Amino acid sequence: MNEIENPVQELWQRQPVEGIKMPVEEIRRRAGKFERKIWWRNAREYVASAIAIGLFGYFYVTTHDVLSRVTFGLFIAAMTWIVVSLHWRGSAKKLPEGIDTLTGLKLYRAELERQLDVVRGVWWWYLAPLVPGFVVYTIGYGWGIRHPAGWAGLIVMDMVVAGMFVWIWKMNMKAARCLTRMIDELKVAE
Amino acid sequence: MERLARAYEADADLRRDLLQEIHVGLWRSFSKFDGRCSLRTWIYRVAHNVGASHVLRWRRVRGQELIGLEEMEDFPDANNRLQATDRSHALDRLLGLIQRLKPLDRHVILSYLEGLDAASIGEITGLSAANVATKIHRIKNVLARQFQQGGADHE
Repeated sequence: MNEIENPVQELWQRQPVEGIKMPVEEIRRRAGKFERKIWWRNAREYVASAIAIGLFGYFYVTTHDVLSRVTFGLFIAAMTWIVVSLHWRGSAKKLPEGIDTLTGLKLYRAELERQLDVVRGVWWWYLAPLVPGFVVYTIGYGWGIRHPAGWAGLIVMDMVVAGMFVWIWKMNMKAARCLTRMIDELKVAE
Repeated sequence: MERLARAYEADADLRRDLLQEIHVGLWRSFSKFDGRCSLRTWIYRVAHNVGASHVLRWRRVRGQELIGLEEMEDFPDANNRLQATDRSHALDRLLGLIQRLKPLDRHVILSYLEGLDAASIGEITGLSAANVATKIHRIKNVLARQFQQGGADHE
C-alpha cells in the first residue's frame, strides 16, 4: 500500500465514517417476518396432522384386522409425537419489546439457530416416527398378497413413500442452508 | 467498507443496505478464498463487485448515465477550486465525481484513493499494468483540475 501522496487521497482516507450497524428496527422487522413464517408452517403441520389423526382414528375404529389396527395405532402415535415435537422444539418465538440492538441480534440469532436444529433434525422427530407404521403396513399388506402383481404394487407404493421421505429430507436441508446463511449474515452484523 | 459504500450509493438508507450486502458477500466468499492474492485484495475485489452490481441495478431504476474517466478529464476546471477550510465541500465534490463514474473506473479511482499501488489495482480489477497506469494518470489530472493541489490537507 502506498503512503498518502496526494491531498485528495488524504481527504478521502480521513473522511468521517458513521459506523453503520444493523438498527434494532431492522432486526425486529426481520424477526417478525421470520416468526410469521414459522407460525404459518406450524399451523399447516398442525392442521394436516389433525386431519391425518382423525382419518387414522376412524380407520382404527372401523377395521377389525389386528395388523391394520396396529398400523393405524402406530401412525396416530407418530403424528401425535410429530405435533408435540414441533410445538416443543419449533414453536414461533416473538422478539421481546424494548431491547437494544445487540440483545435483539443475539435473540434473533438464537431463534434462527433453534429453527436450524429443528430442520436439521427432521429425520429424528418427523420421518423416523412414521417408519414403524409403514413397516407394519407393508408386512400386513404383503401377508395378504396372493398374486405377483400385488408384490409389484407394494414395491411401487414403498418406493413412492421412500421418495417422499427423501424429498421432505431434502427440502429441510435446503431450509437449513438458508437458515445458515441468515445466521452468517447476523454474525457479520454483530 | 463504509467509504467504499459511500462511493457507490449516495442515499443513506440504501447505503446501509449496500454495506450489509457487502458484508454478506464477503462472508459468503471467504469459503472460496484460496490465498492466491492477499486477503486485502480479495476483500476489495468482492466489495467492489457487490458495489458495481448495486450501481448497475440502480442505474436502470434511476435512468442515471455513467461516464468514463476519459470524459471526466474533459470536464471544465472547477472555477471555484476549494480551499483548505472547506473539507466537507471538497469531499462532497469528490463523491459527486466518483458517483458519476462507470463501475470499472470507479473501482480504479477508489483503489487509488485508498492508496493501493498500481500492481494491486491491476490484480483487483484485472486490468493490465499499462492500462492501470493510464487510468491513474487520468485520475491525477482530473483531481488536479478539480481540487486545489495542497489545499485539502490543511485545516
